[in-house]
Amino acid sequence: MASGTATNADPDQQTVRSNSVEQFYFPRPGQSLPGIPPFFGPPSSSLYLANDNEAKVGNQLEPNPSQSTDWDPQAIVSNLTFLEQKIKQVKDVVQSMSNRENQVASGSCEVAAKQQLITADLTSIIIQLITTAGSLLPSMKNPLSSNPAVRQLSNTLGSPMGFGVNANQRPSVDSKTDIPDIGKASGYEELINSLNTTQDERDELIKGPNPCGGEGSEPTPMEDHDVKESDDGDHEGENLPPGSYVVLQLEKEEILAPHTHFCLICGKGFKRDANLRMHMRGHGDEYKTAAALAKPTRDSGSDHAPVTRYSCPFVGCKRNKEHKKFQPLKTILCVKNHYKRSHCDKSYTCSRCNTKKFSVIADLKTHEKHCGRDKWLCSCGTTFSRKDKLFGHVALFQGHTPALPMDDVKRKRRERLFWTAVGGLNWNCGASSRVEDGEINEEVEP
Amino acid sequence: MSREGQKLDYAAAGGNGAGGVGIGVLSLDLLGQVLDRLREPRDRKACRLVSRAFERAEATHRRALRVLRREPLPRLLRAFPSLERLDLSACASLDDASLSAAIAAAGAGGLAGLRRVCLARASGVGWRGLEALVAACPRLEAVDLSHCVGAGDREVAALAAAAGLRELRLDKCLAVTDMGLAKVVVGCPRLEKLSVKWCREISDIGIDLLAKKCPELRSLNISYLKVGNGSLRSISTLEKLEELAMVGCSCIDDEGLELLSKGSDSLQSVDVSRCDHVTYQGLASLIDGRKFLQKLHVADCLHEIGQRFVSKLATLKETLTALKLDGLEVSDSLLQAIGEGCNKLVEIGLSKCSGVTDEGISSLVARCTDLRTIDLTCCNLITNNALDSIADNCKMLECLRLESCSLINEKGLERIANCSPNLKEIDLTDCGVNDAALQHLAKCSELRTLKLGLCSSISDKGIAFISSNCGKLVELDLYRCNSITDDGLAALVNGCKKIKLLNLCYCNKITDSGLGHLGSLEELTNLELRCLVRITGIGISSIATGCKSLIELDLKRCYSVDDAGLGALARNAFNLRQLTISYCQVTGLGLCHLLSSLRCLQDIKMVHLSWVSIEGFEIALRAACGRLKKLKMLNGLKTVLSPELLQMLHACGCRIRWVDKPLVYKDC
Repeated sequence: MASGTATNADPDQQTVRSNSVEQFYFPRPGQSLPGIPPFFGPPSSSLYLANDNEAKVGNQLEPNPSQSTDWDPQAIVSNLTFLEQKIKQVKDVVQSMSNRENQVASGSCEVAAKQQLITADLTSIIIQLITTAGSLLPSMKNPLSSNPAVRQLSNTLGSPMGFGVNANQRPSVDSKTDIPDIGKASGYEELINSLNTTQDERDELIKGPNPCGGEGSEPTPMEDHDVKESDDGDHEGENLPPGSYVVLQLEKEEILAPHTHFCLICGKGFKRDANLRMHMRGHGDEYKTAAALAKPTRDSGSDHAPVTRYSCPFVGCKRNKEHKKFQPLKTILCVKNHYKRSHCDKSYTCSRCNTKKFSVIADLKTHEKHCGRDKWLCSCGTTFSRKDKLFGHVALFQGHTPALPMDDVKRKRRERLFWTAVGGLNWNCGASSRVEDGEINEEVEP
Repeated sequence: MSREGQKLDYAAAGGNGAGGVGIGVLSLDLLGQVLDRLREPRDRKACRLVSRAFERAEATHRRALRVLRREPLPRLLRAFPSLERLDLSACASLDDASLSAAIAAAGAGGLAGLRRVCLARASGVGWRGLEALVAACPRLEAVDLSHCVGAGDREVAALAAAAGLRELRLDKCLAVTDMGLAKVVVGCPRLEKLSVKWCREISDIGIDLLAKKCPELRSLNISYLKVGNGSLRSISTLEKLEELAMVGCSCIDDEGLELLSKGSDSLQSVDVSRCDHVTYQGLASLIDGRKFLQKLHVADCLHEIGQRFVSKLATLKETLTALKLDGLEVSDSLLQAIGEGCNKLVEIGLSKCSGVTDEGISSLVARCTDLRTIDLTCCNLITNNALDSIADNCKMLECLRLESCSLINEKGLERIANCSPNLKEIDLTDCGVNDAALQHLAKCSELRTLKLGLCSSISDKGIAFISSNCGKLVELDLYRCNSITDDGLAALVNGCKKIKLLNLCYCNKITDSGLGHLGSLEELTNLELRCLVRITGIGISSIATGCKSLIELDLKRCYSVDDAGLGALARNAFNLRQLTISYCQVTGLGLCHLLSSLRCLQDIKMVHLSWVSIEGFEIALRAACGRLKKLKMLNGLKTVLSPELLQMLHACGCRIRWVDKPLVYKDC
């Protein structure tokens, strides 16, 4: 009944409204949003793909992989039921909205106020929807989960304020829709933004060759980068005077996310530079030019960027900006490595010695290269894990010399052969000592 | 035989004939003094052979010995107890067992005086032999282990036990790493000369330790190492370093040279040839710090040269004696600046420098009148005018290289010959000179090396001019001088009896009778006869019987040489070490005979021997297995020869180069 009246009363308005909602749900054809039931299938499967990988990695690196594989069918069924209810609610709200518009068609300002209220309702329901949908993912319950995708998702959902992403980031279709331009609309936009962000992340997850990013067991370019900058950015010698640089403090979640491209303005991280460039559009018109959006050529854009240093979000840390002897971190990679090394669990255990633990996977790999072998031995019996350390030791102590690794088996075999050969030679030792022709070359003596 | 030798010979023979009086009554000491004064090795040999007294004197007096075969080694070491220098580089089939046994046979104290040992290319010697050697020679000072490609850390570690070692050459000991080097520098802190050229495993860490442990180092060669600027930082701390060679170190750049410049003033010679990342800026800063440089080799590394470098060069005015700029694009003004800045130059290398003109050379030599060596290889713009100015200014000229300077002719060379009485070496390869030029050059009676390759207009007449006055000639290159006939060779051997190296490749008018003349060159060591299609076994046999000192012989593409020739070599050329018989018409029988008889043969190239059966190769190689160090054969044989044989060859330190050409087998 209600829907029929709505259509009759104001078809145009209705179309726009439903369009708006529809586009809100399906910003672009072919895309899917997390947590929305009709499109729940593909994204969730992609997330489970990521999760499967994670489980594999967990089996290799972590002794107890149980937390990433908990899976309660009953809980999921109840969650799905809840989702169904919520969707029904949304439907009702939209319908009642059109009803009310129909009823109070005369006072346009009143309509606007009502719309505001309804929009707020809608927003809260949708947030609930998404939260529940997210909770369907098994690792969601565990805040320390190492699944980056889920963490990213929860991160985005947990803080709908996003990272200051502007409404401009919305897909272009959105900007055409007629969203009421009133105070409450910002909440809408934020929600959309946060969803879009999630969407971006999702895209990455689907497209990315290694959904687990830096946590995968295979080396990725990002990890190589990590190895190169694997120090904590201990730039004690740098001594930038305080105030001569911008201090940026990333949140813990952002630090732990597997990103390599970071927004220089807000610090938000991305896995692809192209996505970062899309994000940058939100920071102002200067980032919207074709040049800024184009693939950057080398050494451009470095000169106008302000000097930026980073603060560790861990209060009390010397790298935290509140510390009175604050020492900033130079790059985002430094932040990442510092935070992982200093304030995170050492979850990577060396598979050779089973004792050494690391929180940065590159550190583990460096260690594994030397662990258990390449013992550099000095004649005094001291062993070193690295050749340069041994050489430093030898240089320091008189008479010490490197001991060569001996291959005992080979040596014994050669020894035997050698003495057999010596025994087999018939030395004509008793013969005269006269030098014969062709035995020696005469040489002029000095 | 020299005059002194003849006299002694006579006296010794007379002494023996008179039944114990004569030379025999002189004390061993005196006879030793006499022997020391004999300059010609052949004369000493004559003395030794003719008189027991001399033999005894030599036995106690002999200081240096170069052994050519393994078998007599123990006997020789016992016979000469006061040896100081032992050269085993040419000793065929030397291995750990034979070396250890020989040292054991020499007995305790038998090698106590030994100071220098050369084991270059003795690829069969490993750490056991070296350990025995070092243990038996407490006074060992110098060891040359270069080109023992199998030598690694263990071998070097064995040497490290020689605490008194001052000189060590490890060129191309491919398996030596930082560890081996560390062993040596800790064990031998008095090291003064070290060459680790081509030891690619050595890194900055090793060089750093070297600099810390061997403060006495005077000469260091780190050519072709993968070391970087860090090494130069360490090397700059060496207070006594005089010579530093770092050819082809592509990781070294200007920054490294700047680090090197901050050291003591001892450095005299620097070689940065082929260091791709070195520019004139770095060299300028090096010169800035090292004010007493005498030799600077920058061949093939500079692409351009800046004013800064030239002005810095001028600061070396008093000291710089040798400058090599090969491969650089030079201008007249640069040569003039060098001439003005460095007028003490004795040696200048401008090989393959583009832009060298007559004007440039004349402004250079106008100031550098001390020049003795001038390398103008491939400076093809220069003409007789340049030669005139060189002749007018450089009266001390000893060596002039003019390869591919095709604009010069006999007129310029006449000036050179007239004005440079000391000329010892001249390279006229591909200059198109004629007999008239040789007539002028014949005035240079000091000439030792003459290269006339590709000068096809030279005839027998020209050779006759040379032979008339250049009796000291040691090396003659007549590559592709195809107008030369047997008569030319006859004339040559008349006058130039000292020739050691002779190249007659592609002089295809030469026949067996020409080789018959060559048979009188008793001192000939290297002979190249490539593609002399008319020579046969007869000619080869006259060479084999006549040229007793022959070490290297190239018979590639001498299609008429057959088993008879190889037989003659097998019977007579006992010193032959290196032989090429590719494309010769030999059979398996001849090859077996050759390889089983020649006890010094270590390097043989035998590609395209279509008449030799697989069994022939197999038996011949088995016969020579322990002695061969280098072998070049067709790739097709790789699969058909027995694996045991190849394994055995490899175990004896033999390297085989397989030529990738089809295997043609003619069944005879």
